[in-house]
Amino acid sequence: MSNILDIRNLTIELETSAGTVKVLDKLSLQLAEGEIHTLVGESGSGKSLLAKAIMGFINPRWKITADRLWWRHYDLLALNPVQRRMITGRDMAMIFQNPGSYLDPNTKLGNQLRETIPQSDLKGIYLRRKANRTVRAERLLHRVGIKDADKVMNSYPHQLSEGVAQKVSIAMAIAHNPKLLIADEPTTAMEPNTRNQIYRLLAKLSASQGMSILMITQDLTSVIPESQRMSLVYCGQLMETGPTEKIMTEPFHPYTDAMLQMSFFNKELVPKTRLPTLTGAIPTLQHMPIGCRLGPRCPKSRRACIHQPRLSKVKQHQFACHFPLIEVETHD
Amino acid sequence: MTDLLEVKNISKYYSYKNGWLTPQRVCALEPISFSVKRGETIAIMGETGSGKSTIAKLISGAEVPSSGEIFLNGELLDPNNHQQRCREIRMIFQDSLRSLNPQLTIGKQLLESLLFNTKWSAAEQQEHVYVTLQKVGLLPDHFDFYPHMLSSGQQQRVCIARAIILEPQIIVADEAFAALDPSIRAQIINLILDLQEDMGISFIFASHSPEIVKHVADKILIMHRGKMIEFDSTQALLTNPKQQLTKMLLQSEQLNKALKHTTTQE
Repeated sequence: MSNILDIRNLTIELETSAGTVKVLDKLSLQLAEGEIHTLVGESGSGKSLLAKAIMGFINPRWKITADRLWWRHYDLLALNPVQRRMITGRDMAMIFQNPGSYLDPNTKLGNQLRETIPQSDLKGIYLRRKANRTVRAERLLHRVGIKDADKVMNSYPHQLSEGVAQKVSIAMAIAHNPKLLIADEPTTAMEPNTRNQIYRLLAKLSASQGMSILMITQDLTSVIPESQRMSLVYCGQLMETGPTEKIMTEPFHPYTDAMLQMSFFNKELVPKTRLPTLTGAIPTLQHMPIGCRLGPRCPKSRRACIHQPRLSKVKQHQFACHFPLIEVETHD
Repeated sequence: MTDLLEVKNISKYYSYKNGWLTPQRVCALEPISFSVKRGETIAIMGETGSGKSTIAKLISGAEVPSSGEIFLNGELLDPNNHQQRCREIRMIFQDSLRSLNPQLTIGKQLLESLLFNTKWSAAEQQEHVYVTLQKVGLLPDHFDFYPHMLSSGQQQRVCIARAIILEPQIIVADEAFAALDPSIRAQIINLILDLQEDMGISFIFASHSPEIVKHVADKILIMHRGKMIEFDSTQALLTNPKQQLTKMLLQSEQLNKALKHTTTQE
């Protein structure tokens, strides 16, 4: 499988009162066709910034540099904005956290959905096209598992539950058959039942249409079983990346291990005992530590951690740590 | 052990006007009864709109029940006696930043509850605030901070400090862990477990995370459309759930999948 999205050493710098801060620090990410990749990071890790950089929602004040930011055979950073929008609009789509708040509250969902269907997909003359549009919209809703399409098309966003609203927004995202779907915390603040429904839907779409999905989540408990690879990001630095099962069972990085423990993955955990946790709080933008940013909170940190570790590679599994949990021979 | 809190046939109806002559009544909570022992942790689980938050509000006295009574230590709690209620039963909310007053320093907010509920001198009150801040893992220096100057974890700690400052017997939390980052969430869970051990507080919380509930709760109360459908110890519900909904709420697909992997590898 070839990588359709290839990011190498992406750095985003922001101007703040305390000088230039690297919000994303040399982040690399590869996404193969039809793959589900989960990106896990706590707040302030820059995971949403990465999504924005891929989609091209860029603030002119950010300074973006990368060795490579390629989408298929296009170098996204070398394109002009018009060309970039063409490619993004054709191949990518994104869904967000609170569907209720980003759908247009003044327009019925049917109209919002019809709007997203590209003109080029419709055949026939004016009235026929109009009728086809509605048929396509209904079919889209069926595809995301909404049975009562008429009722949903005639309602406003506030009249629907979170889960249904998120399904409609997924329908809008897949209307033009994108190659890449970026889901930015699609299920935060949803109840487990609805959450699982959305996950199953995304996994099904990926399997049936060969759509790649970049799932961005905060929490290891919401990593979907179908996801093939995952990456952990902390404060803009890549901690560990590799196949999901490997990371869940044999983590190399102390951060991954801590996240697993804190997300109740340790089955020997006795109820009511204290959870193992990282000390301290997530640093703010103005006070980023030098070197490995996990340093001050890491249980294994030593003096060498003031230098940022390089990515070490064990088969498909990559991690950035001077003192990994499993000893490996580095080939520098 | 005697029951600390006893809830008897408590219910809540909301009425709204629907046209001229047809007032409508919506049932948010059908009559339910349960009891809580000292130092016990009770988790309330259920889907959205099942009445989880309504129970939390009724127990903490934020809303007056339509019927039924609440007994604390065998003594009837008057729904209109806010002073007694807020001394014994305190509440923690989901969004810590929005539940703190942005215009007051942390110290002043904590002092407020002492001003209204104790007859201590100013020096004593200040001293008590310092002690409470240290109990929740903050420093006395945080007295002069404003809420926005703290991180989300520290804000949640302030909310917990505000809850325990009057040394209550019961703390009610409505989704207090949902909006926190995993590392901060683990710290807050540890803090609450520590405080419970030290002060013998009973803890009632609404949550929809099966992992947290399994770890923290002694008993689980399952709600469905305003009705209590199950109430038993965590162990009993995990091994032998009577309702399909209970099974669904308590299982976590991701966890099962991960555990399956580890077992197959062994």
